[in-house]
Amino acid sequence: MNLDFSQMVPYIPFILEGIWVTLKFVIVAIILGSILGTILALFKIGSIKPLRWFADAYTSIFRGTPLILQLMIIYYSIPQLTGYDISPFLSAILAFGLNSSAYISEIIRAGIQAVDKGQMEAAQALGIPYRAMMKDIILPQALKNILPALMNEFITLTKESAIVSTIGYLDLMRRAQVVGSDLFRNFEPLLFVGLIYWCLVMGLTVLGRMFERRLKQSD
Amino acid sequence: MIKVEHLYKKFGSNEVLTDISTDIKKGEVVSIIGPSGSGKSTFLRCLNMLEIPTSGKVIINGQDLTGPKKDVQKIRQGIGMVFQHFHLFPHLTVLENLTYAPMKVKGESKSLAEEKARALLLRVGLAEKEKAYPSSLSGGQKQRVAIARALAMEPELMLFDEPTSALDPEMVKEVLDVMKDLAKSGMTMAVVTHEMGFAREVADRVLFLDHGILVEEGKPLEFFASPKTERARDFLEKVL
Repeated sequence: MNLDFSQMVPYIPFILEGIWVTLKFVIVAIILGSILGTILALFKIGSIKPLRWFADAYTSIFRGTPLILQLMIIYYSIPQLTGYDISPFLSAILAFGLNSSAYISEIIRAGIQAVDKGQMEAAQALGIPYRAMMKDIILPQALKNILPALMNEFITLTKESAIVSTIGYLDLMRRAQVVGSDLFRNFEPLLFVGLIYWCLVMGLTVLGRMFERRLKQSD
Repeated sequence: MIKVEHLYKKFGSNEVLTDISTDIKKGEVVSIIGPSGSGKSTFLRCLNMLEIPTSGKVIINGQDLTGPKKDVQKIRQGIGMVFQHFHLFPHLTVLENLTYAPMKVKGESKSLAEEKARALLLRVGLAEKEKAYPSSLSGGQKQRVAIARALAMEPELMLFDEPTSALDPEMVKEVLDVMKDLAKSGMTMAVVTHEMGFAREVADRVLFLDHGILVEEGKPLEFFASPKTERARDFLEKVL
């Protein structure tokens, strides 16, 4: 057994910088995915047929093809087709945001449909407009039910973010590979970033639990 | 105030309401009774367009709800509805349940809406519950809050869809008392109910529905003492 973490010490700041690099695009992708996902979910439960078809087709495409393929297509095809030199950061946000919105829209749709139909009728009977009803009455109740599923999606996104290393984005994973090839030792840096990913996910889990408790105050 | 003309409602090929015509005058309390599956609730829900009639007219204060391009939302603001299963907003406190619609829909200020909400809670005997969440209330309390929530919009007409059917027996009275009080204050009410006592005591008129047909209507005293139709007699024998 020949584990030697001491050689890695000079590289630690370089790897730690990767935390922010990873978090930065994960956070933006989660926000983008949540907003788009909510809109798609509203399309799916709405009564306007073309929007429903669009949302269904969208979900089918983004769930039906590999994420890494979507990432590559965005990163390589946009410069080829438009001449715009898209950065790895932007490609990553787009690929992850668009992809997770497909999953999130399904989670939210199920959450909305699980809210008692009587809630909608009560709101309608009071003359509350559709938008306000969705925003203030239906979605808050749906959110409470879907929070565990949503946290799951965010955790998956955080971990899967490692595949942006394939387009040369200097995230945690890529940094581990860089250090590995510099030292001719791969195991230690990989183990190290593995620990960091685990900590990130644990942090997210704790955050989710806290949020869940806050939403439970009405029970 | 309400005029219903030749109202039909079909779910697919199943005809739930057949050619119902009646009217309800201002200040009148009308009880709608009949066996389960007779279309009572569907009839009530057609009055505020929670169910869209297949054909026929519902005219409220001269406005045809079934006409083209009617602002149903606007008309609903003047019609309060109380449901069998309360449907309070579980993530809002009792006070917020009462103030949400007046603030959002009528644009009332928070202080005004809260002041009126507190007065209503006092009226239904739940002043001390304003900060509670619905899940901590008993069924009877929930229904009283639901009545107060509907009243907070200051409706001209109140619809009650079996308001006591989901309650434990000992809680029925507290809800009926609130409704009686409301009837005395001159509110126009349409009440789908299995409480024959309420229908007899409080209602000005009874509508008897069976298989989606308005079989008989009349003053409660006459209706309960000597129903004119065979079907009403059958029904009353079973429930009284």
